Amino acid sequence: MAISPDSSDPADGADGSGADGSPTTGADGPTSAAGGSPSPDGGETGEASRAATAEAEGRTALDTVRSIVSDHAVHIGVIVLFAIYPLAYTQLIALPVIGQELELLFPRTRTMVAVLYVGLFAMSFDFISGYTGYLSFGHSMFYGIGAYLVVLSVNGKVPFLGGIESLLLLALVGGLLAMGAALLVGAVSFRLSGVYFAMVTLGFAEVAHVFIRNWDYVSSNPRDGASLGNNAVSIGLPEWGPLPNWNVTIGQIVGSEFPNVLGTGFDLSKADVSFYAVGIVVLLSYFAMQRIIHSPYGKVMIAIRENEERARAVGYNTFYYKMGAFAMSAFFAAIAGGLLAGYKRSVAPENTFDLFVTADALLAAIIGGFGTLAGALYGVLFQDTLEDFLSTEEGLAPYLRENLSESTMDTVVGDGIDLLLNGRAGLYIGIVFILFVLYVPEGILGTLRSRLGGTVAEKLPERFERYRGGNQ
Amino acid sequence: MTGIVAAVAALAGLPALAGLPAFAGLDAIVPLANLGQLADLVDPTTLFGIFLNAISKFGVYVTIAAGLSLIFGLMGVLNFAHGSLTMIGAYLGGALMLTFVSEATGDVVAIAFFFLALALVFAIVTAAGAVIEIGLIRPIYDRPPLFQILLTFGLVLVLEEGMRIVLDVYDVQPNVDWTEAAGTRPDVLGFHEILGVTTRGIYQFEAVVGILVVAATWWFLTRTSYGLHIRAGSEDAEMAQALGIDVRRSFTVVFGVGAGLAALAGVMLMWDPRYGASVGLGVETLLIAFVVVIVGGLGSFKGTVVAAAIVAVVDALASWMLVNDVVTFSGLPELVIFLVLVGVLVVRPQGLFGVEEVGGH
Repeated sequence: MAISPDSSDPADGADGSGADGSPTTGADGPTSAAGGSPSPDGGETGEASRAATAEAEGRTALDTVRSIVSDHAVHIGVIVLFAIYPLAYTQLIALPVIGQELELLFPRTRTMVAVLYVGLFAMSFDFISGYTGYLSFGHSMFYGIGAYLVVLSVNGKVPFLGGIESLLLLALVGGLLAMGAALLVGAVSFRLSGVYFAMVTLGFAEVAHVFIRNWDYVSSNPRDGASLGNNAVSIGLPEWGPLPNWNVTIGQIVGSEFPNVLGTGFDLSKADVSFYAVGIVVLLSYFAMQRIIHSPYGKVMIAIRENEERARAVGYNTFYYKMGAFAMSAFFAAIAGGLLAGYKRSVAPENTFDLFVTADALLAAIIGGFGTLAGALYGVLFQDTLEDFLSTEEGLAPYLRENLSESTMDTVVGDGIDLLLNGRAGLYIGIVFILFVLYVPEGILGTLRSRLGGTVAEKLPERFERYRGGNQ
Repeated sequence: MTGIVAAVAALAGLPALAGLPAFAGLDAIVPLANLGQLADLVDPTTLFGIFLNAISKFGVYVTIAAGLSLIFGLMGVLNFAHGSLTMIGAYLGGALMLTFVSEATGDVVAIAFFFLALALVFAIVTAAGAVIEIGLIRPIYDRPPLFQILLTFGLVLVLEEGMRIVLDVYDVQPNVDWTEAAGTRPDVLGFHEILGVTTRGIYQFEAVVGILVVAATWWFLTRTSYGLHIRAGSEDAEMAQALGIDVRRSFTVVFGVGAGLAALAGVMLMWDPRYGASVGLGVETLLIAFVVVIVGGLGSFKGTVVAAAIVAVVDALASWMLVNDVVTFSGLPELVIFLVLVGVLVVRPQGLFGVEEVGGH
């Protein structure tokens, strides 16, 4: 912990030993010194009690929990925001006057489910491309492998995997398969770099894309993909011994729903259940990736991005590091693909293996911040919110059509709305994207980090603390 | 063939399947039939048919890729918007032809008008390309190459959605081929028979246009002072600048001409029954242009021409196999094009005629 280069907290100092006491301290470890004594009084007394804590043999469980909470205040905040979203959304759109407008502005819960799994895919793309600097332009292949494996095996078309209904298990198998594919592709592609690496991975992905589009083993019409039909698939822990059945079914039509949960009066709709089930998997995957990024392995990945020759000169076998990173990112991409298949209950070449699926992840990663991991998720959130806002069914255009007077709609204004707003999200995403590339090349999260001088999770509480201290 | 099929299965992430007893018959994965048909390949008529198809495809591929090769080779910018410019060219060309030509127009006049439309579209899009270079690409030359990919990718979204808006105004269906524009194709370019092979006149016409494009580009690069400046600028921009060449202007010209060539290819494809003007044309042509340019090698126009020929021959052979039921896997021609890309990059990372050290960077 003490040698972690993330350590930039000036107040940290000798207290680093305190952080070693807590085994659960996560990626932002070094700042835990500030959280070692969350006593609000601060100042000299704080200093003294901190020293006392460090001297004490081990910590109580409560302290550990406290330090985790204060280390990860921002993480927890974001997770809580995501967690209350479906319930808050239902409440907000039910508001009397502004409900309709809020419904327009905020993405629907079922859009949010897509945000989560596409976000996971975009993060896995950022994991390899943003951190090692090798642009994986064929990343959609791994997403597709995960998605197709789930659908094909549930439909009984994959030997040995027939009859498995657990989505997680299938996604895991898909992940391992994608890892294998990544090792094959990587063995060839990592001999190249820059634009050539991007092109050869794109070449592999297109081979797979063309193949899956024409492989009539998938379904009678492989160009339209395949669907799960009536076959069941559930997400959750497998039934084991005395444990209760923790499984739910996800999906818009067949998913589980829980009206009036535990008598609280809240209804969990199908979209809500899917949101939470998918969200937990995405959250765990995010933590796993973040953990890797902040481990020594991740440092080597970043070293490869910054200066690969130097990393090699220092003695790292960069080829193996790149292969490992590629395989891991392929694994998470396939997990995301599995979630897509489980939620949509169907797969098609154009939303899995297509070049534009990779491109969407790239857009999201750039808008959110290249090489920030979580930024990719925010990028997807931005994209999908905009798409939802301009969608044909429930977006701005139908809203205006409903609320503007008929005489206005008959004029050129009505035509303009239909022409420029109805389902035209691509145009605006493109414009925003170009503006980002030109003027905000670091993306949302990257710019925030530059401003704050460290990761947001680390620096934001510090700033807040300083602000609070100044007030006293 | 079996090798390719097994490789394909492996690439699609299904290595386990190929070896399993349940899938022992490769037919389950890629149905093969009539390998005996391959014997027909020695028949002169068959060979001539494949040749006709190959030169037509060569014309298409080299025209699609020429502009990308210029821009990528001389400026190092991988222009993702290249296909979108082709798509816009197809629509512009179609609109021009519809205004020029009516049912009563004779064949020769129609072809003359076609070349006029070609020239006009080339001029318009060249100017637009120059504007794009000055406004958007120039500010990011000093950034990593990734940013140029990103920026031109953003252009793809804007251009495609913008085109959809324009088509919406004129009530043209964006997702299917624009048949009215294709209808301006004169009858002389329709079906006819050469030496026992039934073919379309448009295919030979495309081969001619392709050769003209190659000749013109070659002339531009080697026989004009602009070409000299461009070659000098791409080799050593600083030195060229020190010798009094305005490298920035050269880059603007190259990007403009490259964009113009992309659009020119679009005008040609607007008449081609295999392509046709649709918004999807952009992606369809972009990937092929990438393959041709990368296989040929960075910075080598000669490489692009050779690569276009290789890809065209391979594609024509694969198409023949498909049509004659040697292989019933319908994606074969597309598949082999990408296999050529992967294969060449594995064996010769810098491409067929690329400079040695370029591939490593």
